[in-house]
Amino acid sequence: MNRFLKIGLITLVLAGALGGAGCKTKPKNITAIPGSEGRAGTTTELAPTAPIGTSPGGTAGRGNRFAPGDTGANPVDLNPQNAAANLTPPPQTDLPAGDIRNGMREDREMFRGNTVYFDFDKSAVKKGPETTKVLAVAEYLKAHADAKLEIEGHCDERGTEGYNLSLGERRALSVREILLNNGVAAEKVTTVSYGEARPADPGHDEAAWGKNRRSEFVLLLPAGGNVR
Amino acid sequence: MTHTTPRCRRLFAAVAALAVCARLAAQTDVPITTVEGGKVAALVPIAISGFTGEADKVLKFDLEVAGFSIVPPAQARFELVGKNGGQIEATLKDAGKHALFARAYPGGTPRGQAHALADDVVQTAIPGQKGIARTKIAFKITVGQRNQRNESVSEVFLADYDGANAFQLTQDGSIVRSPAWQPGHRVLYYSSFRLGRACIYSHDLASGARTAVASFNGMNDGAAVSPDGTRIAMILSKSGSPDVWVSHIDGSGLKQLTTTREDEASPCWSPDGRSICFSSRAEGSTRLYVVDAGGGPMRPLNTGGVRGATEPDWSPDGSQIAFTRMGGRENFQVYVVPAKGGEARAVGEGEDPTWAPNSRTLAVVRRKGSIRRLSLLDVPTGRVKDSASFSGGCSQPSWAR
Repeated sequence: MNRFLKIGLITLVLAGALGGAGCKTKPKNITAIPGSEGRAGTTTELAPTAPIGTSPGGTAGRGNRFAPGDTGANPVDLNPQNAAANLTPPPQTDLPAGDIRNGMREDREMFRGNTVYFDFDKSAVKKGPETTKVLAVAEYLKAHADAKLEIEGHCDERGTEGYNLSLGERRALSVREILLNNGVAAEKVTTVSYGEARPADPGHDEAAWGKNRRSEFVLLLPAGGNVR
Repeated sequence: MTHTTPRCRRLFAAVAALAVCARLAAQTDVPITTVEGGKVAALVPIAISGFTGEADKVLKFDLEVAGFSIVPPAQARFELVGKNGGQIEATLKDAGKHALFARAYPGGTPRGQAHALADDVVQTAIPGQKGIARTKIAFKITVGQRNQRNESVSEVFLADYDGANAFQLTQDGSIVRSPAWQPGHRVLYYSSFRLGRACIYSHDLASGARTAVASFNGMNDGAAVSPDGTRIAMILSKSGSPDVWVSHIDGSGLKQLTTTREDEASPCWSPDGRSICFSSRAEGSTRLYVVDAGGGPMRPLNTGGVRGATEPDWSPDGSQIAFTRMGGRENFQVYVVPAKGGEARAVGEGEDPTWAPNSRTLAVVRRKGSIRRLSLLDVPTGRVKDSASFSGGCSQPSWAR
């Protein structure tokens, strides 16, 4: 066997063994999302309490059952309407430090025509017109230093809810990849997945689904001044 | 299904006619239906008489969910006789008319009394089976109206396992997702869009204290708390792709478990806390994988050729994993597969299954047109009962355990 081939093979095996802890091959073209490092864990707010299990004797033992012998006596008002009336809305706390939307206002109209549409169960941006729409957004972001972008990912209703959350995010990230590959700084772009929670068309047929499998662009501009 | 010869305890015959407040310990060596893994079991025939109104309705619902069929006395293997008024009084007899227990259920509501009796019947008639009639579920209701951000508003609700006594937990007026109990605690984890995008919160039900545990740029979703209540598995996209991450219960000590380019979703824990099952499109189509909670390679779970597997939930006894098979619209099916992998069995129409503490019953979401509602599915018998209905679509149930 050719010596170089042999060395190459050994290197490959070694690399495989060393990198074997995670996946065999680290996927390429994935850029970490900067910012928002750190949780907002220090801010604790007062949100609604639940009546269940707060009755005396109802909390004994592990789990969320009434204690043995408690046949269900539960004097707390469980009527949602009554309970809601006693609640004050949660205070709006600030976005976590590092959230790129801090100090920015939303413009949903600027890129209304650039909404990217996807094939069923796919997250890749189609070549041609769909990619062209993304490239136009990239050019704008490069020309406007203050502008930032939120990319929304949406799905039709034909996946399960949990699946669609991740699929929507993957769609938004595919769009983001194109922006980053075309010179947009990672710090300027964030993603959000709505899954199937915000359909553009409430219908239940292919015409509606085709409009719902999409990525929308929300332009973020400094809240105070004009962008240039 | 096997049918053992009855060996009854004459001791109870003496007290059969008398309903007493003191609870009598019931022996469990009575005719049983054994539920064998993977096989469809028969319903347990029971005759019920003497109850009225809500108590009667609730009792029958509970027992049907638990795998009983309500039949005339001549066909019954068990007979439940009693009455209700201020309290429920009941005697459970076997086919030989020997009393297995005679008890009274004072206090609380008729509904609560009926649930308590149903649990006693289940635990007496099916040895080793836990009653679930007094457990709780958390779930999401999509209210229907749109908020200023044009989002279809959804909130987290809590209810009895049958959907009764529902209580609206969140008042965020935005989108919520993926409610999940911290096992053994009265704390819920869920995602809310209250700040304009999904962050994961822990919400203490007793104090109302709510704390963000993951609020990174990108996706913060799918929180699942480990069985010992000390760790969270979740989906974050901060690495640039939706991956499975684990952290301590407060969100600190983050560790990335998967590094695929494709999207991972819906993590759940094995009851021993060692493994996490999730779905991924890493190999093109959606399927289930298992990864060690401490890190390591992700291993595909054999689902016997069933494709489109997602939304896994590991049974509390560790033996099975329930999941959703995605097909066309209104065609989702719930399957169960041995936790080690193998032949997956379709158990009924629905999606997003969550196991009851008895490792036998599933709460699932079923779609009828654009309406989504919760149903209870008895896995061994395939019996399905709809939970209380709500105005608005119900989804993402999480059974407290």
